[in-house]
Amino acid sequence: MKSSELSRPELFACRGLRIGISGRAILPAIDLSIRAGQFWAVVGRNGAGKTTWLRTLLGLLPPVAGRVLTAGDVRVSYLPQRSGLDDLYPLLAREVVAMGVERGWSFLAGLGAADRKARVERALSEVDAAQLAEQPFRRLSEGQKQRVLFARLIAGDAEVAILDEPTSAMDKVAEREAFELIRKLQVEHGLAVLVVSHYLSIVREFADHAILLDGDAEQVVIGTPAQVFEHPAFRKRYGDFATEAAHV
Amino acid sequence: MSEPASVPATTGDFDFDSLLAPSATPPEAAVPDANAVPSAASLPAPTAPALSAHIAHEENPTWHDFAASWDLYRDPVICGVVAGAVLGMLGVFVVLRRAVFVTAAVSQSAALGVALAFLLGIYLGVTPPPVLCAFALALAATAVLAWRSPSTRLPREAIVGLLYVGASALAVLVGDRIAQEAEDITAILFGTAVLVRPEDLLAVLGVSALVAVAIAFLYRGLVFAGFDPDGARIQKLPVARIELALWTLVALEVSVTTRAIGALPVFAFSVLPAMAALRASNRLSHAVLLAGLAGALSGGLGYICAFLLRFPVGAAEACVAAILFSLAVSAARFRRAF
Repeated sequence: MKSSELSRPELFACRGLRIGISGRAILPAIDLSIRAGQFWAVVGRNGAGKTTWLRTLLGLLPPVAGRVLTAGDVRVSYLPQRSGLDDLYPLLAREVVAMGVERGWSFLAGLGAADRKARVERALSEVDAAQLAEQPFRRLSEGQKQRVLFARLIAGDAEVAILDEPTSAMDKVAEREAFELIRKLQVEHGLAVLVVSHYLSIVREFADHAILLDGDAEQVVIGTPAQVFEHPAFRKRYGDFATEAAHV
Repeated sequence: MSEPASVPATTGDFDFDSLLAPSATPPEAAVPDANAVPSAASLPAPTAPALSAHIAHEENPTWHDFAASWDLYRDPVICGVVAGAVLGMLGVFVVLRRAVFVTAAVSQSAALGVALAFLLGIYLGVTPPPVLCAFALALAATAVLAWRSPSTRLPREAIVGLLYVGASALAVLVGDRIAQEAEDITAILFGTAVLVRPEDLLAVLGVSALVAVAIAFLYRGLVFAGFDPDGARIQKLPVARIELALWTLVALEVSVTTRAIGALPVFAFSVLPAMAALRASNRLSHAVLLAGLAGALSGGLGYICAFLLRFPVGAAEACVAAILFSLAVSAARFRRAF
């Protein structure tokens, strides 16, 4: 980790954190800190424990052992895998963005309508999605939906964005555009980003830090993307793809 | 068709307790209740026109007869309209949470609560307020559905089915032990009540107003918690409390309206207007208002149809709601085609 990063505020920290389901740990203890403005990639094969780790970080699952520390009232925004959002709801894109503004009990009164509207419009413009505002969210393409969800995290003034396979349903071009947008938000808003992705070349290009989770071998590797991709545990799991990822 | 000896002409003259509440007097000696027909042999089920025969002495009731007897029918029509409107709005959130049959199980539990109130009245000599018993049972049913024991491997649908069948069967069994009130139980289960007692109307109006205001206050929370529950939790919204509030509102509205208009129309109003509105609109806020309108129409038109066509009230209201749903589906298809 660069020394300049150490001076940034710590937003999340895992201290001897063991994750698992129904009290059974699936990975060894994890110790790391996530600081403002860092871009973390979470890699691992299917079933490696990536989503379980994210959900434990977010407080949606209890840790098996150890602790997750969060900095006071840190504002977190979570983009779940596609199945996490209910397509039955007939919502406009701008209504989905407006959800980003909600915190705690704010839905009972909270922000004035004008301020709320202004924040939503500004966020949509920032991700070049102003033209989608009045479109039904469920009818948008996957790429357009992601743009709207990025606008939601901007509207909420999030400090940490946790993205669970945000580009899984996108083609190569849309995927690159999505990551470029994430990078832009990271730089312009000082956002800490934690993204699960199977696209190793993209991870190598955009992330500053990576964590490999391997539930089968009960192994966790933390470092820069280059360090992780050259680790024997990574090579064992990814075979030929490991060589490709390490030399992009 | 025989006519009762004396039937008052206006609502104000009715003794609603003798008409609608359980009575110790034998059926043949009692004043005909609101669910009864002028001649039990001529009509198998209680109907609105049956009562109208007292007033309008018409074989084929007309709109004019209905208008002439408006004072008598005003309260049940208002009750149907208000219950339909609020259950319709509430139903949007129920349908979106894929919990349609929860309302059926809760309304049957409310009906069981009313039946138990009558039973207690007979055996203890003191009848607890049926609406309170309905609310208690409805709330208990909601709590059972909301509580998920880690050791329970049954899906929620199975628990809903168990509650629905159990509550319905128990209501019929309790009804069998209170023969004098059997028709009341039938009325509550199937919505055949023709009249509404003033206190029931007041309860429906008061609770419905409260529920409508609560929906407006909770709207943004209800939408976020349903659409993206994890996202809402992470943004520190009290998702569990929002869900608890939703199901408490359902239990409250269902228990009060079940006592007044019966379980069948309550279930219909909680589901069909919402389905129609969600089919017809691409805006959730519009769908909520449309569902309220469709529910109100179902309650009002259903009652008038029952009067004019000599149908049982609850079934007529449910059928009108189903017709509105069919129209919404057709309109949506038509709109897509052109």
